[in-house]
Amino acid sequence: MEAVFISELKPFLDAVAQQMQLYVPKKSGENYICTRYDPANETPVEFNNIRTCTTIKEFLFPVCELASVYPEPVEPEDIKPFAVFGLKDCDLRSMKVLDKVFLEEDFEDLLYVRRREKMFIISTDCFDPAENCFCSLLDGSPFAQSGFDLNVSKTKGGFIIEAGSQKGRDFIEKNTDLFTDVPQTALNERDQNRADAQKRLEQNNSEYRFDAPIKEIVEKCRESEAFDVEAESCVECQACTRICPTCHCFYLYDTKQQDYFSKMKMWDSCMRMAYAAVAGGANPRKILGDRIKHRLLHKFVYFSDRYGIDMCVGCGRCMDTCIGGTNTRDLLKKLNEEFKSNKKSKVTK
Amino acid sequence: MTVNPYQPIDGEIVDIIDESPTIKSFVIVPEEQFSFKTGQFVELTLPGEGEAPFTPSSSPSVTEKMEITIMKAGHVTGLLHEAGKGQKVGIRGPYGNGYPVDDFVGKELYIVGGGVGLAPIRSLFLTLVDRIKDFKAVICRFGAKTPEDFIYKKTLFGPWQNIKGVDMELTVDEADGQWKGNVGVVTTICKKGDVNVKNAVAIICGPPIMMKFATMKVIDFGFRPQDIYLSMEKNMSCGIGKCGHCMLGKYYVCKDGPVFTYEQIKDYPNIWD
Repeated sequence: MEAVFISELKPFLDAVAQQMQLYVPKKSGENYICTRYDPANETPVEFNNIRTCTTIKEFLFPVCELASVYPEPVEPEDIKPFAVFGLKDCDLRSMKVLDKVFLEEDFEDLLYVRRREKMFIISTDCFDPAENCFCSLLDGSPFAQSGFDLNVSKTKGGFIIEAGSQKGRDFIEKNTDLFTDVPQTALNERDQNRADAQKRLEQNNSEYRFDAPIKEIVEKCRESEAFDVEAESCVECQACTRICPTCHCFYLYDTKQQDYFSKMKMWDSCMRMAYAAVAGGANPRKILGDRIKHRLLHKFVYFSDRYGIDMCVGCGRCMDTCIGGTNTRDLLKKLNEEFKSNKKSKVTK
Repeated sequence: MTVNPYQPIDGEIVDIIDESPTIKSFVIVPEEQFSFKTGQFVELTLPGEGEAPFTPSSSPSVTEKMEITIMKAGHVTGLLHEAGKGQKVGIRGPYGNGYPVDDFVGKELYIVGGGVGLAPIRSLFLTLVDRIKDFKAVICRFGAKTPEDFIYKKTLFGPWQNIKGVDMELTVDEADGQWKGNVGVVTTICKKGDVNVKNAVAIICGPPIMMKFATMKVIDFGFRPQDIYLSMEKNMSCGIGKCGHCMLGKYYVCKDGPVFTYEQIKDYPNIWD
């Protein structure tokens, strides 16, 4: 694979920013959020050693956007090319989930397509996975393997930049003056960093071992009381669904302007009580435990029945953000224990 | 260029028929070419107010206009009930899978309907009647709360009963002085001897509780789950299998339904709620 080296980030980011709007991570408290890059800003951009709070869905599927104008349709505003620096493997994998939904052939979501086409993806290695990261349990890794235009790995002497797409190769070619060859020592260091991060992830998750594919466990334990128990510590703030990079529920609402009407598309949450209610009064998930169960079934069973991949990437953001006491990974562990004992009792019978 | 799936086309309400104290039928003329298959649904927009899913109650063979029968239940339906002729509306769709009418050829159709659930059934019924000879029998068992609550009274209490090949019985939960028919919920007029289940399909549409008991009843008759067709009412918002509101297990009711066989959905939680 094509890779080049650069000792400082700034010239690289400046080159990207010359061509398009660039978003970079910025420390906010203990976390990182994405902000617009300003080449004039003296403070150097910090290489985020872990995923940002901002998810990739915010760039592709904003919290609220104009879905249509009627009765006279209006051509949507042009989306300008933009780049996001600092995405991790979990982010790229979450984009695959969103792609499945919004790029589905029979009903492409034009709003998503337009942004997706204009996005330049710069992923970075994750060398400091958090306590709550559990991508290793879901086939993820602390560095991106595909789905990026450019991937950046930090080493002591500088940064390895690797192209993962034609767009990425074109960028490197166009800016060849900025780069040098990758020193072997840097490559070795990168491999070591990646192995260390992988090891840390595995250590963090060592107590979470599953006796069957997660899909099977969740499916077989759908009658479990664990969902209602989980509900006891949920405060229904819906933060888990908002910060989840794969959750993509939305609702459409109509507005009245002076000269036209419009439909807006806005994030929604399946954790909301009235989410599935119909006007006639029926509501299949009045009970919070049923909503928690539905969300987990959607993530690990229904989505994968439909699209062949899990709808959870193990980024752990839901656990970071929860102000109650719910914990996806622990819930899966609990279900696994039930799964194991159900299996045993069946064998004994 | 792909079309924007969230863009409605224009339509106009040209006539309004009072069906019952809480139900009206709206005759809508779409301003563009619009066709649907029986059992499919549309998203109807009241401009600036909101959008809601409805299955047209007219025959798909009538293409210049369509009828939608609406019970006053929430915000959009409440405002539609106050609207008059000339009201502009938006239409998206049609969405989902309707009734697989061609698969019914040569069979007895056992249709159980209740309340405003007769709306999708009317569209199906008119489709069947157009080619009545293709079917062994069309057996209808319809119910309403009171005689006044029946929709499509003019045709239901008269001409439809006299169509050759149609066997129709009606019931009400509570009779008034005039009512001479059966009194009791719709399952009380469903009898095992009505239908030869070996060569029949059941079609059920109505309020959730009625659908549940009617399904159990026809299973008792010996209908196989794959021969029971249910028109599911869920909160369909986007209509195109993305927004998530209408999920029923792995299915999006908007895209994979709204018509399902009982076999498809029976193992998922809370299907009747």
